[in-house]
Amino acid sequence: MTALLRANLPVLVVIAPLFIAFILTPLARRIRLVETLAFLATVLGLGAAGHLATVVFARRGSPFIYQLGGWPPPWGIELVAGNLGVIFALVVTGVSVPVVLFARGNLTAEVGDTGRVTRFYVLYLLLVGALAGMAVTNDLFNIYVLVEVVTLSCCGLVSARRHPRAAEAAFTYLILATLGSAFVLGGIGLIYMLTGHLNMGFAGQELGRVWPDYPHTVLLAVSFVIIGFGVKAAVFPLHVWLPDAHATAPSPASAILSGLAVKGYLLCLLKFLYGVFGGVLLRELAVHRILTLLGVAGIIAGSLLALTQEELKRRLAYSTVAQVGYLVLGGGLLNATGLTGALFYLASHAVIKATLFLAAGAIQAATGKSRIRELAGVGRKMPLTMAAFTIGSCGLIGLPLFFGFIGKWYLLVGSLEAGMILPVVAILAGSVLCAAYLLPVIRTAYFRPAPAVAWRDPGRPQKLALLLLATAVVVLGVRPGPFLELARKAAAELMAFV
Amino acid sequence: MRDFILKRAAALILPFIFVYGIYVILHGAVSPGGSFAGGIIVGLSFVAFATIYGIEKGKAKLPEQVLVWTESYGTLWYGLMGMVGLGRGVPFLANKLAGVDLGTPGTLASGGLIPLIGLGVGIRVASTIVTLFFTMMEEES
Repeated sequence: MTALLRANLPVLVVIAPLFIAFILTPLARRIRLVETLAFLATVLGLGAAGHLATVVFARRGSPFIYQLGGWPPPWGIELVAGNLGVIFALVVTGVSVPVVLFARGNLTAEVGDTGRVTRFYVLYLLLVGALAGMAVTNDLFNIYVLVEVVTLSCCGLVSARRHPRAAEAAFTYLILATLGSAFVLGGIGLIYMLTGHLNMGFAGQELGRVWPDYPHTVLLAVSFVIIGFGVKAAVFPLHVWLPDAHATAPSPASAILSGLAVKGYLLCLLKFLYGVFGGVLLRELAVHRILTLLGVAGIIAGSLLALTQEELKRRLAYSTVAQVGYLVLGGGLLNATGLTGALFYLASHAVIKATLFLAAGAIQAATGKSRIRELAGVGRKMPLTMAAFTIGSCGLIGLPLFFGFIGKWYLLVGSLEAGMILPVVAILAGSVLCAAYLLPVIRTAYFRPAPAVAWRDPGRPQKLALLLLATAVVVLGVRPGPFLELARKAAAELMAFV
Repeated sequence: MRDFILKRAAALILPFIFVYGIYVILHGAVSPGGSFAGGIIVGLSFVAFATIYGIEKGKAKLPEQVLVWTESYGTLWYGLMGMVGLGRGVPFLANKLAGVDLGTPGTLASGGLIPLIGLGVGIRVASTIVTLFFTMMEEES
């Protein structure tokens, strides 16, 4: 039995949440059971991802290749669980557990009756399964399908909140994300046209051979892919849908959308750029310069926009735009240090942003207030929630000994190695701006007198979820060792294509 | 009384449309079409029934609970068929490798697990179409 499980781990990470998602809808009347099953599904996913990580670790660098249906690569769909896949699968499943714990018994106010709550969990599990699929898949069309699953479940999650603004935000998101999907599909179509392969490895090899013959088509394919994933991942000038969608979604949904969904698209973008197009082509078309510039613009603009927001969740949403900038920047540096930083920061931001959004959601639910200056004294009334928020903020600012620091440090060193001064300035300025938009929240919460009302910390599962995430921010900040090693190996996998 | 002809004609045609949908689903492995197209045909036969005989009768034929069940378990059925391979120690979604007899090429039973998988997809698509239709009719009224 264990041998059977071990042999099928890459696919089990994906299908465990999907299967459980399919049995939830008929159980809508027994909401406790639905919640427990959803929790079990994420725990199962985490277990599978953890086990997969140990298996891949033991293989010392050679990836775990899984052929669906037993069909070998050029024909069949191939799942490749290397270090890159493992790190992302770990992040996805790891963050999904506390978020689903936070949602437990806590959605009725934001989402509605049990039928709607059940639908929320179904979409949530589909999203987690599809993101885990993005981590391991090595097939272009498979990526497109997963992108669609992620997009549609994200739209559903945003519109799950019973609020006119949520419906509007979900609609805008749906339109723009569909446009993004069309671009992605166009890019995949062009690559398939040029190479005749849908397997990323084969397509990449073939493209490396034929691209000098079709320079314009390749240019078009690259731009389609960058624009498509750029819209979906909210890379700076294409981010317009994100603040509304992430700020109006129910809090657990905001956490997972900002923390994970956006990262899934970025991972796909990296897989396309490095795995399919390859370093030679990227340098030839100056794609890495474009990515660096987009990243720099995103960091500065996202942070400045966050600074001007009055509402807590909107400020966090704009902050996501800025953090996406760091990841894009890291992808454009074209060196191992920068990529290590980007991958590590991807993980840190997933955990940190989930902490911040869940804490913000708990505060909003308890106080009924969303503007930052109305939150005076929350720190004393809701000590645990605000402590988690503070720890998350320290991580996002990039203070040493917190999870966000190492990633930013590696990005900084990577920029210096690449001999570029603009990213260095942007990374440092981004941290200062981040402090400028997060510290006032903490100051208001702790040092302003509280009004005489009974605000209280959320219930036990919510507290546990916040505690888990905040602990992760501190522990992985103090002892980043194994995780950093994983990020370094994953970066090396991508750098093999350069 | 007014739509007597419509109802009589529908009573004659609809069963054939339904059976044709099933035919398309089951022949997905050997002919054009397949479970998605077939599922839509099956779904549309119910949609036509509900339009002609009235939404109440349509809902009596396919209650909401049945739709919820078929929608969820149709998809789950696909997954379970994929698991057949796992049970035999070969990869997910394996067909011939899982020891399923593929029969004579070109005949109906030559798809191994594919017609069974298609059945799950077809049922799911059909119930989704009907659910969509009922939802839209509810919003209108």
